Amino acid sequence: MNKWWGYGLTLALATSLLAGCSGGGKRADPGKTESPSGGSQTKPQDDKGKPVKFSFLIPTTVSSGYHTRIPDLNKDKWVLKLEELTHTDIDLKIMEDSKYGVMFASNEIPDVVGSIGGPGSKSMSGSVESGIFMPLDDLLKTNAPNLMKLIPKAAWDTVTYDGKIYGIPEFLMNPSRRATYIRTDLLEKTGLKPPTTIEEFLDVLRAFKKIGVDTPYQMRENFKYADLVLGAFDVLPYKDQFELVDGKVQPKFFDSENMMKALNVYKTMYDEGLIAKEFATITSTDFTKSLDAGKAGMWSQNASGLVGYRTNVTRAIPEAKIDIIPSPKGPEGKGGYFLYSPVVRTFYINKNVDPERAAGIVQFFDWMVSPEAENFFTFGIEGDTYTKGADGKIDYKFPQTKEEQEEESFRSGTLWAVHDSTYNKLRLELNEDGRATLKAFDEVLSKEGLPGIGFYPELNTFSKYPDLAAPQPDVGPKIIIDHMVKMIYGKEPISDWPKVIDEYLSKGGKEILKEANERWNNKDGAILIENQ
Amino acid sequence: MAAKLERSEQALYTFATRGHRWRFVRKYWPLYVLSIPGILYFLIFRYIPLFGSAIAFQDYNVFKGIKGSEWVGLDNFKRMFQYAEFLPILRNTILIGLYDLVFAFPVPILLALLLNEVRAMLYKRIVQTVVYMPHFLSWVIVGGIVVGVLSPSTGIVNHLLSLFGIEPIYFLGENGFIRTILVGSGIWKDSGWGTIIYLAAIASIHPDLYEAAQMDGASRWRQIRSITIPCIMPTIVILFLLQIGNFLDFGFERVFVFLNPLNSDNGEIIDTYVYRAGLVDRQYSYTTAIGLFKSVVGLLLIVIGNKLSRRVSGEGLY
Repeated sequence: MNKWWGYGLTLALATSLLAGCSGGGKRADPGKTESPSGGSQTKPQDDKGKPVKFSFLIPTTVSSGYHTRIPDLNKDKWVLKLEELTHTDIDLKIMEDSKYGVMFASNEIPDVVGSIGGPGSKSMSGSVESGIFMPLDDLLKTNAPNLMKLIPKAAWDTVTYDGKIYGIPEFLMNPSRRATYIRTDLLEKTGLKPPTTIEEFLDVLRAFKKIGVDTPYQMRENFKYADLVLGAFDVLPYKDQFELVDGKVQPKFFDSENMMKALNVYKTMYDEGLIAKEFATITSTDFTKSLDAGKAGMWSQNASGLVGYRTNVTRAIPEAKIDIIPSPKGPEGKGGYFLYSPVVRTFYINKNVDPERAAGIVQFFDWMVSPEAENFFTFGIEGDTYTKGADGKIDYKFPQTKEEQEEESFRSGTLWAVHDSTYNKLRLELNEDGRATLKAFDEVLSKEGLPGIGFYPELNTFSKYPDLAAPQPDVGPKIIIDHMVKMIYGKEPISDWPKVIDEYLSKGGKEILKEANERWNNKDGAILIENQ
Repeated sequence: MAAKLERSEQALYTFATRGHRWRFVRKYWPLYVLSIPGILYFLIFRYIPLFGSAIAFQDYNVFKGIKGSEWVGLDNFKRMFQYAEFLPILRNTILIGLYDLVFAFPVPILLALLLNEVRAMLYKRIVQTVVYMPHFLSWVIVGGIVVGVLSPSTGIVNHLLSLFGIEPIYFLGENGFIRTILVGSGIWKDSGWGTIIYLAAIASIHPDLYEAAQMDGASRWRQIRSITIPCIMPTIVILFLLQIGNFLDFGFERVFVFLNPLNSDNGEIIDTYVYRAGLVDRQYSYTTAIGLFKSVVGLLLIVIGNKLSRRVSGEGLY
């Protein structure tokens, strides 16, 4: 008897597996095949109807964190609560963005796919151009009034391909993200004022060196998070840092005069020992270690890191005082860092999803910018992660351990798909370091940063000439970085910069410029990123 | 010697009739069954994927698949040879592979011979374990250690140099040092592990040979030259041929961890270029073409090496 049960079970499993495999085509109409009574013809947004059911893929950049510790994400308490609040039934998956190529190649594409960056990003593997996802313009108009109102135009432009919106962006209201940090306690020792120009910046670094600071300015390989001087002269060699000169689009490093000035400043810093002699091999790990050990006097980092630095550095040096100051300006009064693309992540809907469910999905994302959503993603569940006082004041249980911190970042980072991710105001307002961060964003960062022209989707010529393309949004092309480093180390004369531009042009740069100008003139995915 | 004899015997063995053969197969059927998983492995994971190389001749698009993608002939290969940096990269790959063959290949043999001469068993075991160890470290860790040891400000090498009044040298910041560092770190990491096969070959040499030599009054040195080395020669030749086949596969990680703008002129090899152009940029067809080019060169080298070796020493892979 038992044996027959076994056979039956195996058969049942096998058929369900088969059904699962061949579900792609039939999936278009799940509401009808799966409703038990057949009577639920109500619309998905109707609270009493069936929950909107869809599979949902969210990207991460790391292979660790809260989601890797949960055996079944679909039974996780945050996911369940999210389903309850939004009246949805989500089949959630989380995957590293870098592994998307494999997912697309296997052709098992979820109903909703989130990805880091815009539609032309490398991880999307050209899927938007190949028509895997549906255009959303009409759906957004009828189902997402809040998103339409809130999301800035530059963000919509970034997720537009061929004149149609293909994704819902997690956006940045303030694309100025990076800031100049200084050890105020050391600055007070030198008796100097916070530097406002590059000359004053060098003087402060020299004074730091005199009082025995190990690393007056913290450098890092490829100038990543070490680009203060490049910013002051407005010659950042990054992906979205093209500019208009005489009506023509060109990369900012074409400005030889300012580039050579910037390189000379770096060379001075190198020669005088104001930066590490081996900066060409300082990895991000070395960089973080050096900062956390309190060895650096000044450095460049994301403003959102202020809370972390204040905690970590004071652990090593109790009297340390860390502040964000306005970035030192170059001779033309410019300064700061590159402005980020206004789109952090984008969420696409599979073209096989039927219109009814698609509408429900768009409403799901529209809900994410509501006060209820803000409260849930920021503070979690009442009685669990926070309590409310009689006056309505929220008492949030701050995460203490690394596990709790990861859980918080899963809830308010990973899971909170669509919102303004400049900063989490509710959360930051709760303590002093958070309020300092808010102040830095509102009073310092909003007034600096370098606008530029970027291309979404990317220029085709970039993939043809990988040496001339920025491998990451904040790293310059190999050929440019190589020459910059060699010049600072004195292996090539800085006065040779015009030759570097000639080399860039002859190795394929001409084609890049041609395509960039055509795209700009035709208003074809060429986006001007500027401060709001 | 022994290997040669066996081969000729095999060649002579022919079956008189079909029935004979079947009886033979029936008698040893478990051996045939045992070989099935191995054969399947090579079919499924080595031979079938070869057809995927077709994308080297296409403009491959993951959504269209191999069937739907457009055929572009040799365009990807043309692009590879037209790339301005291709010759320097090929030169680096060949030079580094050559240095590796010349300097790193003999080290495990020497080490095995030396270990074999050690009398104190305990000491031998300890040394063996210590030289194996680095093999189990990943290249990222080895890279970190080497960068630390060679650092101009905190590294021990420059500290020692400064005792002799020599200015600190930024080893990783010089084109002139990178190949030495690449090959040297490989020797440190893997030569201990490489001794295993040689030690096994030495252990299988018949003690009679040594006893006879001792009777004739041969010294240790003479025994090594006249018995140990000739006896492990077939092993050395086979490993050498395999190494030649992997000549262009120096490995991506072990180079990538040491590369920076100051040394990439002499350090960048095909593998790191493929990473940059292909994996970072998702250019499947182009990088498959490069990979195919590498495999064909590897195959040619193996065929030529095998021919030469058979002519010179009588030993070969096949």
